[in-house]
Amino acid sequence: MKLFNTVTGKKGEEIASEFLKNKGYEIVERNWRNKFGEIDIIAKKDNVLVFVEVKTKIGELYGLPEEMVGRGKLQKVRNMATVYLKGKEISCRIDVIAIVLADNGSVSRINHYENVY
Amino acid sequence: MYTIRNNMLTKIRSTANIGLTTIPIDVEVDVATAGFPGFTIVGLASKAVEEARERVKTAIINSGFDFPPKKITVNLAPADIPKDGAAYDLPIAVGILIASEQLPENTVFDLKKQFFYGELSLDGTLRPTKGVLLLALFAKKITGSQIFVPEFSANEASVVNIPVYPVLTLHRIIQHFTKTKPLNPLTYISVKDELDMEPPEFDLSEIAGQEQAKRAIIIAASGGHNMLMFGPPGTGKTMLARALPGILPPLNEQEALEVTRIYSISGLLPPGASLITKRPFRAPHHGVSTVGLIGGGSNPMPGEVSLAHLGVLFLDEMPEFPRSALESLRQPMEDGDVEIVRVAGHVKYPASFTLLAAINPCPCGYLGHPKRACTCSERQIAKYRHRISGPILDRIDLHVSVSVIAVEKLSLSLKNNPNAITSKQAKAMVVTARDIQTKRFAGTNIYTNSQMKNKDVKKFCMLTPESENILKLASDTYNFSARSYIRMIKVARTIADLDHKKDILPNHIAESLQYKQMV
Repeated sequence: MKLFNTVTGKKGEEIASEFLKNKGYEIVERNWRNKFGEIDIIAKKDNVLVFVEVKTKIGELYGLPEEMVGRGKLQKVRNMATVYLKGKEISCRIDVIAIVLADNGSVSRINHYENVY
Repeated sequence: MYTIRNNMLTKIRSTANIGLTTIPIDVEVDVATAGFPGFTIVGLASKAVEEARERVKTAIINSGFDFPPKKITVNLAPADIPKDGAAYDLPIAVGILIASEQLPENTVFDLKKQFFYGELSLDGTLRPTKGVLLLALFAKKITGSQIFVPEFSANEASVVNIPVYPVLTLHRIIQHFTKTKPLNPLTYISVKDELDMEPPEFDLSEIAGQEQAKRAIIIAASGGHNMLMFGPPGTGKTMLARALPGILPPLNEQEALEVTRIYSISGLLPPGASLITKRPFRAPHHGVSTVGLIGGGSNPMPGEVSLAHLGVLFLDEMPEFPRSALESLRQPMEDGDVEIVRVAGHVKYPASFTLLAAINPCPCGYLGHPKRACTCSERQIAKYRHRISGPILDRIDLHVSVSVIAVEKLSLSLKNNPNAITSKQAKAMVVTARDIQTKRFAGTNIYTNSQMKNKDVKKFCMLTPESENILKLASDTYNFSARSYIRMIKVARTIADLDHKKDILPNHIAESLQYKQMV
């Protein structure tokens, strides 16, 4: 079943935040945005703030979700994180969660990459 | 917080060529088990090497393997040597396949002694890559080494006696290592077998008259002396030059390798070719730039002087060449090599060539013509003559006037003059003279009389007292420079060699004197 990309994305973010909660993360913000961009999930664990970019694809036929997060996207997340922190000195990092959905909408794999930037 | 990572690290050997020096390069490929997927190449890689990422990735996928979605880091060590060219595609691809365990490392014989070299095409085939001969010559120094090179370039390495594996596709190399379908190493071709005689394309006997010029061209070919032909248009200057390759002696083993190395690094060997067996004959157009002539570029490449190494550099219409380009010939003409200095480093290329130049007497070309009048003004003629500087003319040993031929000699009804020397006869003379020189200079790195340095001249050129007298007399009368004096002795040496004489007799000196510029 083909979904609109925004719907796929939303669904992926839903799955990712459940995944993080199960891993013991506390979700601080969802879709934190300003006019420059958006951070999908801001989470917290062991006093480390984690900015998470979620990328979801249906099937791997047209490329891996990992491939769709390039330098530019990570730079954008980094800039947004800087704005979010407003100069506060907190230990933080940027993570990527890559999700591949099967055609029926079930999760066929989910990978969490820590400290990617 | 920190987990111990069990990364797969592989080291593949390859080489970098800086000028004609070969440096071993370790291509280290790390496929990390953790970390965000990506593909980085470090180690002072140029744009062509950076782009290897896309070529390697696509070639691996199109060869039926998986490109691991992992963090891949490639390091080209040592890190301070600039790497250029696409030759690292193959070692990187093989490294990734081993590090991602698609190719079991234990099947690989000995990565320390196996060299990989070649550019990948997107479909996984290997493209002809320049510099394969240099890799082979380097690998020969390491006992037990093997090289894996593109099939289309492999022939140039076949003259080096090591196992050379010609590789058509990335897939074939994998089949070789998994022993499903091993590659066959090339059979070693002795350089000697390659050096067979080729028929001349232009025969000396086809040129009417010009006996003096023909004699001079034989002397030039025998001793590697520089020669200048001077005369009105249409008298056979260019034809004489074109006949020269046909009378040049064949390259010997050592020389053939020297020349082929230069062509290999320039990427001028046609695919499938193994060895340059004919002496180079380079005739650059007079629009050539200094860099084109001498060599250069940010990654310095050989120029025409180096491509003409051990052969002939023919400058037709010499005064039309840019002054700067001509003047840059001075140092290579004297030293037999050229040193190019750029930001990337300095590189020395051999450039021991015979200069052959053709010039008109004046811009209209008819100065001194027996029948036609010259229309140039004094000033124009003086200006034309000034385009070639004294130092260049001083380095040219044989000045020959190629004069107008009488119409009777051209008559078509006349059979070729039976007394006219043919290229075959001329070549035989040249080859004998060269043999004498080879024997004389055995154990040195000199091939011809013209390459002798001043101390060699003292050692090898015995002048009889009479000859010395003539030379002294001529020097006093015409005020030869010290260089001219030495050069004249070298020419006389060649003339004596053509005459099969051990000492330089008065007639040899006298002949060499008549080729000297008297203006």
